[in-house]
Amino acid sequence: MDILKLEIVTPEGQIFSDDIKNVTLPGAEGEFGVYPGHASLVSLLQAGVIDIELTTGKHEIVAVNWGHAKVDESSVTVLADGAVAIGGDSESAIASSLNSAKKLIESMSDSDVAIATARAKIESIARG
Amino acid sequence: MSNLKEIKRKIKSVENTRKTTKAMKLVSTAKLNRAKLAAQQSKVYAQKINEVLSEIAYKINQYKIGGIESRFFDEITTPKKVDIIFVTADKGLCGGFNIQTIKEVNRLMDDYKDKKVKVRLRGVGKKGIAFFKFQDIELHSSYAGVSSAPTYEKAQEIISEAIEDFKSGVTDKIILVHNGYLNMISQELKVNNIVPVSFPEHVESDSKSLMELEPEEDETILESLIKKYFEYNMYYSLIDSLAAEHSARMQAMENATNNATERVEMLTLAYNKARQESITTELIEIISGVESMK
Repeated sequence: MDILKLEIVTPEGQIFSDDIKNVTLPGAEGEFGVYPGHASLVSLLQAGVIDIELTTGKHEIVAVNWGHAKVDESSVTVLADGAVAIGGDSESAIASSLNSAKKLIESMSDSDVAIATARAKIESIARG
Repeated sequence: MSNLKEIKRKIKSVENTRKTTKAMKLVSTAKLNRAKLAAQQSKVYAQKINEVLSEIAYKINQYKIGGIESRFFDEITTPKKVDIIFVTADKGLCGGFNIQTIKEVNRLMDDYKDKKVKVRLRGVGKKGIAFFKFQDIELHSSYAGVSSAPTYEKAQEIISEAIEDFKSGVTDKIILVHNGYLNMISQELKVNNIVPVSFPEHVESDSKSLMELEPEEDETILESLIKKYFEYNMYYSLIDSLAAEHSARMQAMENATNNATERVEMLTLAYNKARQESITTELIEIISGVESMK
């Protein structure tokens, strides 16, 4: 089995649901990557970004403020309080989603380090 | 002549009622669209969090992991005290919407009474509260004015006390009853046993491994997840109930408007008949008057 089923849901609806290669999650005790066949795990998430590698090899980024992730061998479920998918068809759409992602993270996290890391990540994605 | 006036007055009154019911229908339609959207958006999250929790419950029971707040997951076969939280609307004029919920609560209460289980009621929504007050059935706590404008904070407030009681062992089970939204024309009564968390005999996922928790040094993660689970279920009940209320009212008002229209037609017919009758009588009187003068 070399694909994972990832679902990201928030109280406002489903943000993401697809088969993926792997995902990196901002755990409360540090970032962790999940590949297919990962041991079962329930983890608290802190404000940060979720880096998703799609089956096509493309990357997709979703910013979350707080939540839980449930991982097992073949699927990952993220229950987030708030999440913003970064991306869009045009430059301006990407820029505005970046801004809302930054705001989301800053509004929730009280740790400067977390904010700084998340910001740096978002910005590096934006440049890349 | 007085008959004519009487009918005219009736027509006017029915027409006024029709105007009101029509306006109420339009208002409900508009509100329904908003409430429906909110309910649909939250549905995914509610489903997911329930799925996650039931899987955790399954695993905890499967592997008998000690030390975790297992009270939330242990299926209690003989509960001693049950908390029933029901959600009704604050307003009436929505057909059988409220009474369906109330009936179900009554049925549950009778069920538990037969089993000698104490039942405690927590009511949300003026209509349900008023009903049980009238029946002289004591409500442990009641929350009016929440149903028409539910927020997450209010849901937290309602459920927090129930959780505390459950945690400290005062109650053994919490049941959530509300009339939920199914589609534009029908509602579905939903009875949700929120704790102990129910789980299927076999979880579909093929994961066999033990579940790890992170951070693992304490139970905060499970606790926060459980808290979220409660609050979200409560919140979802509230908004689902609101959507259902509007759909029920829309339908009830639609029916009322149709009935009023029918009634106006009937009355108009009666009015015309009476008018013709009076004209005929007058004519006869005049003619016979003229005849007698010859």
